[in-house]
Amino acid sequence: MKRYLTLLVAVFSTILSVSQVLPEIELGVKGVVSANIGVNNNGVSSAVSDFSDSQILLGFRQKLYNKWRGQMVFGMQFPDADSDLGQVFYNHVFIQVEDQKNIIKIGRSTTRTILNEFPTLRDDDAMNFNYSLNPFSKGSNTQDNQYGNVIEYTHIFAQRYWLSFHGENFSDLSKPENFELNSFGFSLLYVVPESQLWNREILQRLGFSYNSYATNEAGYEGFDRYLKNILGTITLNVLPDPVHLIDFKVQGVYNIGFARLDSIKSYSDYVRTPSMATFATLRYLYRKLERPLLQVSVGFGLKSFELLPKSKQGIFISNVFYRVGENFDIGFQYRYLQNNGEVADLFSSSAHRFQFAFVYSINQIFNKHFDDRNSILNLEHNYIN
Amino acid sequence: MERKEFLRYSAMGIAGLTMFPANLFSKESIQSNGRLFPESLAYTIAGEWKEFEISVGIAIQELAPAMEIHTLAFNGKVPGPEIRVKSGDKVRVIFKNETELNHTIHWHGIYVPWRMDGVPYVTQMPVMPGKEFIYEFIAEPYGTHFYHCHWGTLLHMQSGMFGSVVIEDDDDPIKKQFPYDREYTLIYSAHDVNFIREELNGMIERMKERSYLMKKGRFDPERFNLFNTKEELLAAIEKGYQPPYLVNRRSSAELPVPNWFTVNGKSYPSTPNLYIKSGENIRVRLINAGTENHHLHLHGHDFWMVCDDGVPLPQPWKRNTVSLSPGKTYDIIIEGNNRGIWTFHDHDTRRVTNNGLYPGGNLLALIYEDLPVEERMVSSTGRMKMGNGQSMNLLPKVALDE
Repeated sequence: MKRYLTLLVAVFSTILSVSQVLPEIELGVKGVVSANIGVNNNGVSSAVSDFSDSQILLGFRQKLYNKWRGQMVFGMQFPDADSDLGQVFYNHVFIQVEDQKNIIKIGRSTTRTILNEFPTLRDDDAMNFNYSLNPFSKGSNTQDNQYGNVIEYTHIFAQRYWLSFHGENFSDLSKPENFELNSFGFSLLYVVPESQLWNREILQRLGFSYNSYATNEAGYEGFDRYLKNILGTITLNVLPDPVHLIDFKVQGVYNIGFARLDSIKSYSDYVRTPSMATFATLRYLYRKLERPLLQVSVGFGLKSFELLPKSKQGIFISNVFYRVGENFDIGFQYRYLQNNGEVADLFSSSAHRFQFAFVYSINQIFNKHFDDRNSILNLEHNYIN
Repeated sequence: MERKEFLRYSAMGIAGLTMFPANLFSKESIQSNGRLFPESLAYTIAGEWKEFEISVGIAIQELAPAMEIHTLAFNGKVPGPEIRVKSGDKVRVIFKNETELNHTIHWHGIYVPWRMDGVPYVTQMPVMPGKEFIYEFIAEPYGTHFYHCHWGTLLHMQSGMFGSVVIEDDDDPIKKQFPYDREYTLIYSAHDVNFIREELNGMIERMKERSYLMKKGRFDPERFNLFNTKEELLAAIEKGYQPPYLVNRRSSAELPVPNWFTVNGKSYPSTPNLYIKSGENIRVRLINAGTENHHLHLHGHDFWMVCDDGVPLPQPWKRNTVSLSPGKTYDIIIEGNNRGIWTFHDHDTRRVTNNGLYPGGNLLALIYEDLPVEERMVSSTGRMKMGNGQSMNLLPKVALDE
């Protein structure tokens, strides 16, 4: 056995001594730092500096020996202070292989719990309205709904249609206890490549997805084992223009839920009872010198519960971002939440939040030596492997 | 050598050989090699004008086997077709832009009227997407010249927008001195393929927006980075406008570093070869349409340098290495006086590489068609063994790594 190990080491040493093609190295950094003022039933609270959702992504990508490409991504995020996830949360650790029309991904990454990208300061600002919620979560953090251990296959056809089949291990990320596949689903999305968004008369994005979670939490015996939900989304170009762009995004999350679960006593009930959530934003984007300068958006959301007619949730969220330098924005966001009925007992009945923020985000690829599937050249002038 | 390793190398060898004609001396090989030189563009006669049609579009070019890039190609080819006319001809070139980018054509070395010189915003407005421009000039002076795009020149030239112009004279002084039947045009270029890809993508994206805005009558000097006068620019800066070379960069901050070197749009082992026979003179027109210096060296021969920028030299020089700097053309005469297979390459061997790997780039061969078979065979020890077929191999091989 010892000899065998020595041989293995020798083999790897030989490999390492050969010159290698330097991979593309992608560095993604998003720093979101805000000063928050919150007003709810319990009074006024404030946070001097909230840097949650800030993250660093480091990716390595290279061509494989055939027409495929391989990628490894590491990412770390700074979660909410009270998230039970510690100071740093590793939100991405995955490997992806892809060719022009296929993508296979495995590892810790974002889950298919949202179908659109909404213009909010942080991704989780309207989470109860625009995400399919993780039934294994205790609700102590938002990462439970955004990240999981995933295995995904995506096929892209006609450049714009993305069909994905995915399985996940969802968990309470603060105390993961099992790593089995406990969710599966599929989605179909029509997506206009980013470089052509302003150039589309009406439709930017359209899609739906189906998720099924295999839950077996104690206390829910007698209910279905599978918690299912359906998501649908659409993005419309209200004013397609390279300088003044206005778009409208809406997404619905229909949680088929557990029939007969007609009370919300806990976060677990909240996630499992049948509900319908809709969230929509209207955004104006001003791109002065071929890059964003000013963005203003307003968003509304409603959530109702099929078996609890008096319980409702509402959200109003509005923000403005102004670019003061390359990659550097200042912003202000106001959010109002209203909860009625049993959800008011779970959350507060209403809450205002004011946020003043700085956002610094970069995305740089070093040693870039091959093109993306969605580049203009590859899209419009034949794809080069 | 391990069996596995042997099989691997054997497979590589076979793969290499299949990329090239098995016999460089066959008629098929010589014909197929001929296609690696610019083809003369056909013209029509319109009154007293010779009328040529040139368009530019985006094409995929194979630089070397399995290495493809997107290019800007005149009439679908890199380099573009050769315009070959007689001295004094009236030349009309109808240039059609079939891309979403702006372009012009500059006639390098030709005495065109200044409004035909193809410099955007100086001699003409750019030829915009889908538009046409007609260049008219009298073909002067005699010699080897070239044409290239003068819009976004750094990108557009190395993306493939160049081609040769040969102005002939019935009373050709070179032909008189060195009688020849065959001639070749070799256009050198250097390409940072990563720069080309990123910049082309960015430029097309920008131009899609700009074309849209132009059609809507929404020209904005700051967005287009185009001002009528320097005073206008300074006034805009005073009001907060940031030039694109400062904080609003629109492209890479790095200057391109070429990693592919081509002759007639091809890198070794796809480069064209020069065929010659013993006792024959061939004329080779050398054009540097790229950004790098090329120190071209011919093995086993001296050659006559006969023209510099198309101008016949009063006294041809004999030499074996010529430094071809960007924008230069030289004509050389090679005398077939030492039969064999001889390499003709850049002696700055950094340019004899493909993506950093030697050999590659602008490496090609002077091949004597009348080289006897027995002289093409060599023993594994390197000793010539005339007439003995045992343990001998045909040369040359296709080597992709040394």
